[in-house]
Amino acid sequence: MIVVEGLRRDFGRVTAVHDLSFSVADGEIFGLLGPNGAGKTTTVRMLAGLIRPTDGSATVNGHAIGSGSQRIRAFTGILTESPGLHDKLTARQNLEFYGRLYGMHGRRLHDAVQRYLGVVGMDEHADRRVGGFSKGMRQKVAIARALLHEPEVIYLDEPTSGLDPSAAKTVRDFVATLRELGRSIVVCTHNLDEAERLCDRIAIMNGTLLRVGTPAALRRHGRNATVRVELNGARGPEWFLEVLARLPWVLGAQPRDDRSLLVELSEPHVETPDLVAALVGAGARITGVREEAATLEEVYLRLVGEAGERDATGAAA
Amino acid sequence: MRPGYVWAIFVKEWRDLISNRLLLGAVVLPAVIFAAIPTGLVAIIQANDLDASQLGQIEQYINDFPDVPAKLAAQGFIVTNFMAYFLLIPAMVPMAIATQSVIGEKLARSLEPQLATPMEVGELLAGKTLAAALPALVATWIVFVAYGLLNGAIADPRLTRFVFSDVWLTAMLTLVPLICLFSVLLGIVVSSRVNDPRTAQQIGGFVVIPIIALAVAQFFGGQATFSLQQVLVGDLVVAGLIGATLAIGSWAFDRESILSRLA
Repeated sequence: MIVVEGLRRDFGRVTAVHDLSFSVADGEIFGLLGPNGAGKTTTVRMLAGLIRPTDGSATVNGHAIGSGSQRIRAFTGILTESPGLHDKLTARQNLEFYGRLYGMHGRRLHDAVQRYLGVVGMDEHADRRVGGFSKGMRQKVAIARALLHEPEVIYLDEPTSGLDPSAAKTVRDFVATLRELGRSIVVCTHNLDEAERLCDRIAIMNGTLLRVGTPAALRRHGRNATVRVELNGARGPEWFLEVLARLPWVLGAQPRDDRSLLVELSEPHVETPDLVAALVGAGARITGVREEAATLEEVYLRLVGEAGERDATGAAA
Repeated sequence: MRPGYVWAIFVKEWRDLISNRLLLGAVVLPAVIFAAIPTGLVAIIQANDLDASQLGQIEQYINDFPDVPAKLAAQGFIVTNFMAYFLLIPAMVPMAIATQSVIGEKLARSLEPQLATPMEVGELLAGKTLAAALPALVATWIVFVAYGLLNGAIADPRLTRFVFSDVWLTAMLTLVPLICLFSVLLGIVVSSRVNDPRTAQQIGGFVVIPIIALAVAQFFGGQATFSLQQVLVGDLVVAGLIGATLAIGSWAFDRESILSRLA
């Protein structure tokens, strides 16, 4: 489990990260989303025990960063932004080298290397030098390297960067299996679609935390879910407003146009079937029902844009 | 310091070195060239008698060898005088390997994954230092032994004794390893601050200037080779420089500095 409280890191006069607080549970995939320079890599480096925070604190599986950094590094796996492999060594030699740096030897090392070369689909290329590999092949070896020592906490920076769709799916599926094994996983990505598909919760940051929540909660951006009901009958949307007003779990309703209604619900997954039943019972002919929500991209751009405007206003003041 | 980590780094660096033909050439060629020039001169003198005027020109130098024939004294002077250049091998080669290693890894961004392991920075540096210093040390020793034996074989067995003198055995066993270590440490410190191997080697190249100056001063001073006292003073000076470089290196090559300076 990762617990971060008020983390700050300055590089000279530049503050890369400030007032950062969040937690990641065991078996949770947590996404860090943010523009370039948002402090994602700095955050991961602090949590992985590579650099010390200027202020604030964090614990990783009970070990404080700073004093417990060496212990943290032992049970942490990190996929860095750039694969950073040794070109003159083969894929197998690269993994064996890193396995030894994580204290693995003999049969355990051999078996782990073989297993993870298979997991990332690189067993056929195991004895080729990495210098001749494509970007995607390098990424696969780097992923194997991050997982080789069965880390309890895993940081993945752009894990599917450079991978073809099939390989990217394999990696996503594998990361999901790690969640089932109870590992805490932090994914840094610019790929909003990937974040939405992979992560249990997402933090949008730009120097500090802008918002954190499940992908669905972020899409709603703090508002109630809105369901759009398409109608095709003699009765227009206004006719049904009175029916909806009698339903206690309907938080609000209004015509969108002369053929559709917008209905606010708190739990659309649960309440939408009852909503449809109630409307049909009142004589509605429904041709479509779908949740009206902002895309994660819209939410992300709005939050990052607002943060940028605040910073600009603050600087001007 | 855990030997397993140092050994893992050493093996990886060694694999890198033997797969890099250009760097391997940089290890072997200088040693061979420094040995081949005086050996060639000895062979020429062996094949051609020196006349009186030639002996007159080098009389000052051959006086260092009073109990041997003039021709052997001339060969002895050449063989021992050139040995100062053997100190250039441990000064140049380890630095080339170390700068290539550190800066190469910075550019390939392969330092960060290593620093993310439980390995300590000291263990990383120890492995890199061993891997950069040992090839130069072994190359120097091999060429030294071959040089002594070859010159004895092509001219006179007494040349072998001149080469394997107490002074040069002491220098090979103390001064050469110390220069290797200093060269590597300086290479690592410089490499941690810059991201271009050529710049690092140019800065580090200042190490060879005092050695060349010593060799030239020795020649023009008419001294065939160093004395034992000079070698021991050299040991002390280089050991002091190593201490200073280690002190600088401890803050120049810490985990945070390296990560914040990655290219």
